[in-house]
Amino acid sequence: MHVIVEGDRERMARFAADAPTRGGFSFDLCQRNEMLLKKGTQLPTFRKTGTTIVGLVFEDGVILGADTRATEGPIVADKNCEKIHYMAPNIYCCGAGTAADTEAVTDMVSSQLQLHRYATGRESRVVTALTLLKSHLFSYQGHVSAALVLGGVDITGPHLHTVYPHGSTDTLPFATMGSGSLAAMAVFESKFREGLTRDEGIKLVSEAICSGIFNDLGSGSNVDVCVITRGQTEYLRNHQLPNPRTYVSSRGYNFLKGHTEVLSTKITPLKSKVEAPAEVDAMEE
Amino acid sequence: MSIFEYNGSAVVAMVGKNCFAIASDRRLGVNLQTIATDFQRIFKIHDKLYIGLSGLATDVQTLYQRLIFRHKLYQLREERDMKPQTFASLVSAILYEKRFGPYFCQPVIAGLGDDDVPFICTMDCIGAKELAKDFVVSGTASESLYGACESMYKPNMEPEELFETISQALLSSVDRDCLSGWGGHVLLVTSTEVQERTLKGRMD
Amino acid sequence: MKLDLSGLQSFPSIPGGAVDDLGVDLFAAPSFQLPACSDFDGFQKDAIQMVKPAKGTTTLAFIFKEGVIVAADSRASMGGYISSQSVKKIIEINPYMLGTMAGGAADCQFWHRNLGIKCRLHELANKRRISVTGASKLLANILYSYRGMGLSVGTMIAGWDEKGPGLYYVDSEGGRLKGTRFSVGSGSPYAYGVLDSGYRFDMTVEEAAELARRSIYHATFRDGASGGVASVYHVGPDGWKKLSGDDVGELHYKYYPVAPTPVEQEMTDAPAA
Repeated sequence: MHVIVEGDRERMARFAADAPTRGGFSFDLCQRNEMLLKKGTQLPTFRKTGTTIVGLVFEDGVILGADTRATEGPIVADKNCEKIHYMAPNIYCCGAGTAADTEAVTDMVSSQLQLHRYATGRESRVVTALTLLKSHLFSYQGHVSAALVLGGVDITGPHLHTVYPHGSTDTLPFATMGSGSLAAMAVFESKFREGLTRDEGIKLVSEAICSGIFNDLGSGSNVDVCVITRGQTEYLRNHQLPNPRTYVSSRGYNFLKGHTEVLSTKITPLKSKVEAPAEVDAMEE
Repeated sequence: MSIFEYNGSAVVAMVGKNCFAIASDRRLGVNLQTIATDFQRIFKIHDKLYIGLSGLATDVQTLYQRLIFRHKLYQLREERDMKPQTFASLVSAILYEKRFGPYFCQPVIAGLGDDDVPFICTMDCIGAKELAKDFVVSGTASESLYGACESMYKPNMEPEELFETISQALLSSVDRDCLSGWGGHVLLVTSTEVQERTLKGRMD
Repeated sequence: MKLDLSGLQSFPSIPGGAVDDLGVDLFAAPSFQLPACSDFDGFQKDAIQMVKPAKGTTTLAFIFKEGVIVAADSRASMGGYISSQSVKKIIEINPYMLGTMAGGAADCQFWHRNLGIKCRLHELANKRRISVTGASKLLANILYSYRGMGLSVGTMIAGWDEKGPGLYYVDSEGGRLKGTRFSVGSGSPYAYGVLDSGYRFDMTVEEAAELARRSIYHATFRDGASGGVASVYHVGPDGWKKLSGDDVGELHYKYYPVAPTPVEQEMTDAPAA
C-alpha cells in the first residue's frame, strides 16, 4: 500500500512533466539491464567509429583529416559518415570511439562555446574547448569513450590537441588517433616537417588517412579534410574517394509491378498543409 | 543470446523519388517461440513522419509512448509538426540520455521534410545518428537486409517500384532469419497519400 | 517463392554396393583420435562452441494400424541465421528402416550411416534383416560409449521387421525408449499438441499422413528454428515410401486461406468546416 505524502506528490508532478529533461544522464534502466545481463543476455554493441583520425600544424594553420567508415562489430554500418565535427567557426574536432559519445560530447561543447561567444562577443579559443572536453570526459572516468583530435586557430595562433577518453590531453605539432593511428603515425613520423605549405599539408594528411584506410580494417572508404587558417575554414568533405563502388550492376534489379503478393492495402490521402494540424484532439483532456 | 534477439525484428526504410517507404516484419517472439504475427513496429508521428523501432518489444512500446508525448508537447508549443531532422535529434537525445542504461531499441526514422524531400536515418541504441541517402536497416535480420538492399536498391525509384523493391528486400531477408518474418508491413509515403500494405510471406 | 527441393529427393542405392577398397576395417568399432591436451573436457566445450551444430528441428514418428509414419521439417539454423531450408532430416537406413535427425547434423548423419553399415553386415552374417529393436540398440550402445564427449543426437529409429512395425527413440545421453508416438526437436512441444489431440490407432494411411503433416506445419509456425518443407514417410510391410513433401510456406495458406482484401481507400474529406 502506497500512501502519497506531500513530497511524493511533488515528485509525481515532476515525473509527469519530466518531458523536456534537465539534462544529464538518466540511470533508471540500469537496474533492469543489470538484471537482464545476469540472466545471461549480452548487452548490445554500440556503433563505433573504428577510425583513423589525424591532424597537423602547418605554416599558417591546422589541418584535420578523417576516414569515413562507421562499424558495428564486423559490419560496416555507414560507408560515408562524418567524423570531423564542428566546434566553433575556427575550431573543429575529429572523433574516434563510440559514435554516440563523440557526437554528443562535441555537440555539447560546441553549444557551450556558442553561448560563451554570445556572452563575451569574442572568438572562441581552442584551450576553452579543450578544457570543456577534458573536464567532461574526466568526470566520467573513461566511460564516455571518446578519443578526439582537436584543432583550431585562435587569437594565440594555431593549436592541435589530442584528448583521450579518460580526460588526459596532449599538445602536439602532429597527431593521430583511433584504431588506424599507428598506420597514420608511421606516415607522419617519416614525412612530417615544420613549415609545411597548405598543399603539402593536405597531401600529407590525405596520405596518412589513406594509410589507415588501406592498412587498418576498422577504417575505410573516403578521406575528409578540414583546413583551418586565420579567419578562414575550409571543410573538404570527401576530399579523396579512393574506394568507389565497383560491384554495382549497371541495370540493377527490376521488379514487375504487382510481383509482391499483398494481403491488404489502405490508401489515405493527405490533407493539404493549409489546414490546422489534425491532432488538436489532444486538447480534450 | 543478445537482448536484441529476444523478440526478433526487421525494419528497413528506403528513399525514392520524392517519396519514401518504411517496412517491418510482423513477428513478436520470445526467443524461438512465436507469440504473435501481427505485431506493430512502425508508428506514425504525423502524416509525413514515421518511426520503426526494432529490438526489445517492451522498450519499443515505452519509447514510442515517450516520443509521441514529446511530439504532442512540441505541437502545442509550436503549432506545427516536427521536421524529420528535428525529430531525429529528439530521438537521439532521448536515447543518449540513457547512455549507461539504454533502451534496447534501434530506431529507423523516415519522413518527408520541407518541399517533400525524403529523409531517412537510423541510430544505435544510444542515439548515434546515421544519415543515409539510400536505405537504412535495423533488427535481427539487419545483416541479410544490408546485402539485399545493397544489391536491389536503385536511386530515384517511382513509388510503385520502390514498394516492390523494399518488399522483396524485406521478404528475402527475413527468409534467412529465424527470429523475424511471419508477414510484412509496408508504408509507402508520397506528398499526396500514404499507402499501407500488408505482405503475404512465409509463416515459418 | 518456390523452394529448391532437390536436396530432399531420395536416390536409389549406388549399384555395385560398397566396395571396400579404402582399406577401412568395417568390422572394427569406429574410433576417433583424441586431441592431445591436458584439459579434454574444456577443449570439447570450446570446440563445440566453435562449430555450433545445427539445432532446431521438428521430427515426429508414430505407429498406427497400417505401419509407421515418420515426418520432419527441413530447416537448418545457426543461431538466428537460417543456413538451409532443404535439409534431409529423415535418413533412409535401408529399405525397411528410417532414422530421423535432430541435434548435431554431422553427428546424426555419420552415426546413421554407420548404423546402416552395421545393419547390412548383420543381414549378410545372419541371412535375415535386423530387427528395429536390434538396430536401435546398436545405435544406443555406440552413443552410450561416447557419452559426455559432446555428441548431440536425438533420433527415432522407425521400421518394419518380422514382428511388424517398430519405433524407438534414441539419444546421445544414452537413452533408448520403445513407444508408439514420439516427437523430437525444438518444435516437438507444438507437434505433440497436434499429434496427441488427433491421434487414433485405426487411421488410414491418408489420415495418418495428414495428421503428421499438420503437426509438422503447426510446429514450423510456432517454432522459429523449424521450417521449410514438411516431409512425410510411411513404413509398411513392403518397406518405406515417401508420401509427400510440402513447402510449409504454401501449406499455411492452404490450411488458412487468406483472400487479399479489397483496397481500402479513405475518402477525401469534405472541405473542412
